[in-house]
Amino acid sequence: MNDNTFYNIPSEICTKINEWLLKFPDGKKKPAIIFALHQIQKENKFIKKTHINSIAKFLGINEIDVYEVAAFYSMFELDKVGKHTISVCTNVSCMLNGSDEILSYLEEKLDLKVGTSSDKFFLKDERECLAACCGAPMMQVNHKYYENLTKEKIDEIIRDIDNE
Amino acid sequence: MNDNIRINELCYSTLSSDNPNSFETYVSLGGYSTWKNIVSKSYDKKEIIETILKSGLRGRGGAGFPTGRKWSFINQDSEDIKYLVCNADESEPGTCKDRDILRYNPHALIEGMLIASYAIGADTAYCYLRGEFMDDVYTSFKSALKDAYDNKYIGKNILNTNIDIELHDLIGAGAYIVGEETAMLESIEGKKGYPRFKPPFPALKGLFGSPTIINNVETLASIPKIMKNGPQWFNSVGTKDSPGFKCFSVSGHVNKPGNYEIPLGTPFKKLLELAGGMKNGKKIKAVIPGGSSVPVVPGEIMLETNMDYESITKAGSLLGSGAVIVMDEDTNMVEVIHRIARFYYSESCGQCTPCREGTGWMYKIIDKILKGKGTLEDLKTLESIPNMISGSTICALGDAAAMPVESFIKNYKKEFLKYIKNKEKVLGKNNNKEFLLQQK
Repeated sequence: MNDNTFYNIPSEICTKINEWLLKFPDGKKKPAIIFALHQIQKENKFIKKTHINSIAKFLGINEIDVYEVAAFYSMFELDKVGKHTISVCTNVSCMLNGSDEILSYLEEKLDLKVGTSSDKFFLKDERECLAACCGAPMMQVNHKYYENLTKEKIDEIIRDIDNE
Repeated sequence: MNDNIRINELCYSTLSSDNPNSFETYVSLGGYSTWKNIVSKSYDKKEIIETILKSGLRGRGGAGFPTGRKWSFINQDSEDIKYLVCNADESEPGTCKDRDILRYNPHALIEGMLIASYAIGADTAYCYLRGEFMDDVYTSFKSALKDAYDNKYIGKNILNTNIDIELHDLIGAGAYIVGEETAMLESIEGKKGYPRFKPPFPALKGLFGSPTIINNVETLASIPKIMKNGPQWFNSVGTKDSPGFKCFSVSGHVNKPGNYEIPLGTPFKKLLELAGGMKNGKKIKAVIPGGSSVPVVPGEIMLETNMDYESITKAGSLLGSGAVIVMDEDTNMVEVIHRIARFYYSESCGQCTPCREGTGWMYKIIDKILKGKGTLEDLKTLESIPNMISGSTICALGDAAAMPVESFIKNYKKEFLKYIKNKEKVLGKNNNKEFLLQQK
């Protein structure tokens, strides 16, 4: 993280960040950090030091303020990841309903260990419960919910992504 | 037996309609009429708080603190800027009730937030949704918010009454700890989610240093109907200390997992029946009655317990968020607590030493036991840790991590001992690859 370069935040993202700031009292800039990181991650899939430098500059705050937020919240990826993020919930309710087998099936199918990426897929090591316990086992693909998973359903979801 | 049970009358009352989340559906069911009345007749703020106090509504996020009392801590008439924050960072393992309110009855939440803001004298309210809701849930909530703005129920000069209240949606980025109310304030301010030391309590010094009230989604979504139908409509069901309806997320080994909103005080047996009974005709072994942070209760005790705050306390646990995780006779309790311990280890924010270190110790020891490498000494150490965490941290995450471990050992010690004394047999049966490899 020694990169001192700046990234050109696309103008439509700048506009969105400025609109977001209107939700907060005048002069408060930090409340837009999480939103700005989400916007840039959506474009680039993960956050680089140059992104952090640019958000700090745009908001007129210290780089460390942006960095510590990026490092604290689990949805921000600071290393390169694949195009589609898959998070299988393995918390209690899902575990009781076979999420471990679902995860192994995906590992095998995508030829990926949990927590690693190919160019196309990132099989995230999800630690949190994703709040769909009554549809267990479940996963999110790019934050879209897929519940009551079976191997057949997974085949279908992956096939749809492959055909995109 | 189920015929006479009152179900989904409050927060899930739109579920029986075709388009449960639409503005039109909500209005056709009498929605926003209370808010209209309040602003057009300039209701007395104190009277609103009085009504909520009388109803006996308790916070639905997990702590069960009386909502009216929380609101009364704020000086509504002071000139200070005040804030209302809705906690939609639903992430207590086993809990998925708020997600369904956000998806299927967002206008009840919006109306509840408006009434609460008015009652505490706040002109800005924030609804903070967990980051993982960003696609499905957030999108539908935002569109409901737009409808309410377009119909002039929110914003400047609400329904031409000179009342201004802004309601903003916010989105998090993945952190269980942000569900703790002061950590949420830090997160809204754009910082790491570190819980704040209390006092000062948020009602005195909260968001951006101003008086703030933080309420859960279900709590706020309950407000409009309580105001509309009166406190007696609400507290005529339930028990004296646990009045009204409550949403329960029933998950685990049941035939019909789902969210069921029923009167508090309903026997657990009945709730289990609503959830279709035990899967595959298995016997019940244990229940976590209020989210993974609360102690586990043996099945036979749960079958004699009612779903209200005081009965569950008597059974040795807590009602918490209302997340009921049901486990059948084949469940491996060491595996379950291993998963729970891993979660708290991963989600501890690291601010307080007893929690940061203690959650790690507990997870690592349980992991060692599960892998067949544990000793009796390890089990003794494990038993001693919860006491060293409980009560010695800034927020309740430490206690939330300690309580399950304590209760799993207390109720299912034999299973831990099996892993320690009889490892080949237990691990062989579970086909634990890592252990077998080590044996070679």
